[in-house]
Amino acid sequence: MTEKKTILLGAVAYDPKVVTIWDGIREHFHEEGVPMDFALFSNYERQVEELLKGHIDVAWNTPLAHVRVRQRTRGESLSLGMRDSDRDFRAKVLVRRDSGIKSLKDLAGKTLAVGSSDSTQARILPLYFLKKEGVNLSQVNLLPFDTDLGKHGDTGTSEIDVIKALNEGRADAGTLGDLIWVNEQAAGHIDSSRIEVLWTTPGFDHCMFDAHPALSPGKIEAFRRALFAMRWENPKHRRLLELEGLREWLPPREDGYRSLEEALKEQ
Amino acid sequence: MAVDGGELALGGGLLALVRPALDALQPGGILAVLSRSISVREDLPSWCRAGRHEYLGVEETADGLDRHLIVRGAFSVPRETSKANGSLKPRDRRLTAADLLEAAVLPPSADPVTGFAPRGARVEPGGPSYPFTLNERDHVAPPEVAMLYDQAVSGQWNASTDIPWSKVRPLPDALESALVQIMTFLAENELSALYVPSRFIARIHPAFAEVAMFLATQLADEARHIDVFLKRARLCGQGLGISSVTTSRSLLSLLQIEDFTEAAFLLSVLGEGTFLDLLSFIERHAPDEPTAELVRRARSDESRHVHFGMAHVRFGLTTDPTLYGRLEAAVRRRAAGLHGIGGVPAPLQDALTILAAGSAEPGAIARGHESFRQLLETMHLSRIRRLGHAGFTHQQAELISELHTPNFM
Repeated sequence: MTEKKTILLGAVAYDPKVVTIWDGIREHFHEEGVPMDFALFSNYERQVEELLKGHIDVAWNTPLAHVRVRQRTRGESLSLGMRDSDRDFRAKVLVRRDSGIKSLKDLAGKTLAVGSSDSTQARILPLYFLKKEGVNLSQVNLLPFDTDLGKHGDTGTSEIDVIKALNEGRADAGTLGDLIWVNEQAAGHIDSSRIEVLWTTPGFDHCMFDAHPALSPGKIEAFRRALFAMRWENPKHRRLLELEGLREWLPPREDGYRSLEEALKEQ
Repeated sequence: MAVDGGELALGGGLLALVRPALDALQPGGILAVLSRSISVREDLPSWCRAGRHEYLGVEETADGLDRHLIVRGAFSVPRETSKANGSLKPRDRRLTAADLLEAAVLPPSADPVTGFAPRGARVEPGGPSYPFTLNERDHVAPPEVAMLYDQAVSGQWNASTDIPWSKVRPLPDALESALVQIMTFLAENELSALYVPSRFIARIHPAFAEVAMFLATQLADEARHIDVFLKRARLCGQGLGISSVTTSRSLLSLLQIEDFTEAAFLLSVLGEGTFLDLLSFIERHAPDEPTAELVRRARSDESRHVHFGMAHVRFGLTTDPTLYGRLEAAVRRRAAGLHGIGGVPAPLQDALTILAAGSAEPGAIARGHESFRQLLETMHLSRIRRLGHAGFTHQQAELISELHTPNFM
């Protein structure tokens, strides 16, 4: 474990803004009287290992990393909190309007663009749910965009690649997360005469703060207190919350990861 | 509330109907979105999730439309509008800044977080705090400010064409030199009147924008005055006159004032107030029509600045009992800093004497000298009268007038 009082948090450096985010949150924690520092990893696999070894106290994890931590600790890791935007995440199946795809059955024989193999929202869960809906994936031509592996889809580049492939006609259909899809639409980046949504997956939950099973109750309490003290109305907090993509931190819940656990068993 | 989105897709324009409709609701208010687009069934719930609005579901109407229901979330721009938002109507085919001020009254104090948001705007929470320091109405914005702004806007004139420049003729040497010296002095003082208020504009909270707008007209006035004074001086063809250390010290002490009300008092009430008498004197003794016209126009502008300074101070004195003491202390500090530098700068005194004399002939000079002495007395009496109007007692007014700078400004 790390030095006595300071909580050491791990995060993955998927973008330069990560430094701004955690420097700001570190400053906020200090203002709340909670000594915290952070270490940045280049990928979630390393971060999970270092958490399990106790080299860091808390890891800001993707759903994939969270489920792995839960499994590796036999459910003894502690979940500390999540973003409001992490709840009820969904994936979308998009189609080109000229593809002739009117239902999931029509995907057979078509090209389906999918995101990175470690992206929960752009690949793992949409394919899992499609299978559950009876789509025979062996009859679908997958066009994978395996960018930024190890970052678990955080960068969103593979999802943008999916949209691009659809725009350019290299794919008939594609999978991606709902947030990037509605945000791209809201920003006016999508030609809705060309691409539309066909189907939405059931909901699942996304990122989570995972704590080492041996983290002291004092640190757990302090971490939660400082985290949940962040407010959207506070200009300093708001800048950080915007960058991290949330409006408020919420308590953890585990039910939202069942589908991912199932999907990983099947892989 | 309901909007009809027709065939519009979420990314095809539907949001341009949905977002404003939600903005018009209080948090918790319900919006119905009618739609014929199937993709909206997939996209609207996700968009609601992203915006923290609650998507209640969809039902089919009797005529086959989708009717989606959304509860407006808490993380939006608050609906509550300023109580100060009244109605605005043209009067006699005119719409003035004073009318606008009446429709959107000045708040007693302004929040630095509203930044440059116009008064009455719905300000999204969580914005950065601005470094404005003049955030209290009673220290910044007298009720007359919008009316004075309106007057200033309609009183603007053109320094290139509104003065009959072509009527300037050569004058006797002594008179020409005197005029050059006077114009040099006026331009130097007006430069300070351009710079001093400009230091405060960026400190005024935009909720009191009318004050900044009035000061902007004041700056434009000073710019025009500098322009015409220098043109008149240069038309004599002999360059400019002397800039005295007395003037320089006096103007620096104005520039160094950090308090807006103290600056308005020293610059506008005392300085520009004294200048009104100076400009009258120059107009009365002007050797030609262009000179009389330009000082007459400058005086008319200056009287607005004096009016604003008086309103500012009078308003402050009625709301802040400590203000008199602060203003007297400011005058004393400035006087102490200028102590021992003598009277009116000699080059100016001589120039005013010769101007009033109209020639260098000794008999005329005697009359000019007497006129100058009367000018000083007139200035003193006017200051006392003006200070009385601003809210000072006669005793206070006499003391302050006597401590005023011999540089006039």
